[in-house]
Amino acid sequence: MVELSVEVAGLRLRNPVVVASGVLGVSVGLMKRAEDAGAGAVTSKTVTLNPREGYPNPVVYELDYGLVNSMGLPNPGAEEMGRILREARRVLGIPVIASIGASTPDEALRIAEALEGFDALELNASCPHVKGLGADLMSDPDAVYGIVSALKSSGYRVFLKLSPHGDYLAVARKAYSAGVDGFTAINTAKAMVIDVYARKPVLGGVVGGLSGRAIHPIAVRVVYELHREFPEVPVIGTGGVEGWVEAVELILAGASAVGVGTALKRGFEVIGEILGGIERYLRDEGFPSVESIVGLAHK
Amino acid sequence: MGYTRARVAEVLDLAPSVKMYILELSRPFGSQPGQYVMVWLPGVGEFPVSVAGEKGGALRLVVARKGRATGYMHERVAEGGYVFVRGPLGRGFRLDARKALLVGGGYGAAPLLYLAERLSGAGATVHAVLGFRSREHALLVEDFRRVAGEVWVATEDGSEGFKGTAVDLFERVFPGGGYDAVYTCGKELMMEKVVRRAVEAGVRVQASLERIIKCGVGVCGACALEPLGLRVCSDGPVFDGETLLSLEDFGRYWRDHSGRRVPLPP
Repeated sequence: MVELSVEVAGLRLRNPVVVASGVLGVSVGLMKRAEDAGAGAVTSKTVTLNPREGYPNPVVYELDYGLVNSMGLPNPGAEEMGRILREARRVLGIPVIASIGASTPDEALRIAEALEGFDALELNASCPHVKGLGADLMSDPDAVYGIVSALKSSGYRVFLKLSPHGDYLAVARKAYSAGVDGFTAINTAKAMVIDVYARKPVLGGVVGGLSGRAIHPIAVRVVYELHREFPEVPVIGTGGVEGWVEAVELILAGASAVGVGTALKRGFEVIGEILGGIERYLRDEGFPSVESIVGLAHK
Repeated sequence: MGYTRARVAEVLDLAPSVKMYILELSRPFGSQPGQYVMVWLPGVGEFPVSVAGEKGGALRLVVARKGRATGYMHERVAEGGYVFVRGPLGRGFRLDARKALLVGGGYGAAPLLYLAERLSGAGATVHAVLGFRSREHALLVEDFRRVAGEVWVATEDGSEGFKGTAVDLFERVFPGGGYDAVYTCGKELMMEKVVRRAVEAGVRVQASLERIIKCGVGVCGACALEPLGLRVCSDGPVFDGETLLSLEDFGRYWRDHSGRRVPLPP
């Protein structure tokens, strides 16, 4: 019997598969379906202090090798998300990570205070298509330092979600010095789709974020670099996990857990397929646990 | 899945604020009744529309003017123009009825017309109850008459057919009709009554739900129904009656653009 459970920044997960932010929206029912399908933890959709409607349609474009989206962080705001997360806490047995979008320490604290029923916060420093939030933080390591410090000194467990753009290691260093508990890497990559017959950008937000298979090797590189520089900081490796091979690859690169997002387009069953594959791999290769292979590619 | 550019072959005024568009597809969608497509007007927006028919490379869509993009379509997209379509999306109606009663309200009649054609083509007996505000708002009635054995029309002001709602008329014809399936599409409060009545009578019933659809492929959660986490865009839009009655949201809540659950619009 191989051990699938992992500890990530003090959170005990029954297995390393985490539902990434953004794909479940704000539905407790969908989070429950993910739990029933086997997920080890779920991440909420990014919540901002005030409600946001997001961009007008089209908001997604499907490619053979990924998905481009410009949802624009639609969410009902911190107060309503607090109610949703309390309900999630009542219904779910697995840890819930609350993704938050903030641009100042004060804003982040106000969001965190309005939420309850989460086990960790994930600061979204990397949404590629919303101004003033997300990706803009990637170019402002000092702002990240301020927000992470404020959240840490208020006693929260904090993950920082990094983008593959810019000097993400500089941002990670600042977050590390502020006491960040873990990294999530990576968010989507800035991308754009133009329909050649319409001769116009497809997405309502014009620029979107590329996810799925296409960005997997980028995620492996970023996770590898993070683990090399901060070997003691856990990473939730996210990006193009379509099956168990990509999941194991990210774990070997240094991820303690793996995020699954775009692959859920194929159905909740992919969670079980990924878990089954990881388990078979560990057994066949003679490893006792997931934790025994974290970062093995560095050795 | 990218967009298919489709030429507008024909535009028909069906009722105030409701038009029918016949689109020429470069490839057949192979859509099933109850499925929908997303119509993209470049630079304007994108909206979901139930398929009202597909035959020989022609897609029939009934578009009600509701917002910016549908308003633009009504005003600016004419015969010979182009729109962009992705689909078909979602799960449609099960087509295993032998004697079916279709209950449509307003432009909800559109997907039921496609269903009526398919059911009757498969040898089923099809009856339809169609409810409208007034004679002026009645649509597709003659099309239904061509494929359905019986078509009963209700108008709220009595200007055509039975005076009352589709539900009032349904309550009259349903008992004793010997139907083995009921299909409904229209205002959710109407469908809720039809579904409840059919389930109580032990007759299989399916309803097509309307929600704000964003991604259309089941990843964003904008159209999730609680507490089961069913997505209207990909698990639906058609659901069976027992499933609908087990939801907190059916007939009560929908989600606004931010994802917040709010009372169903009247």
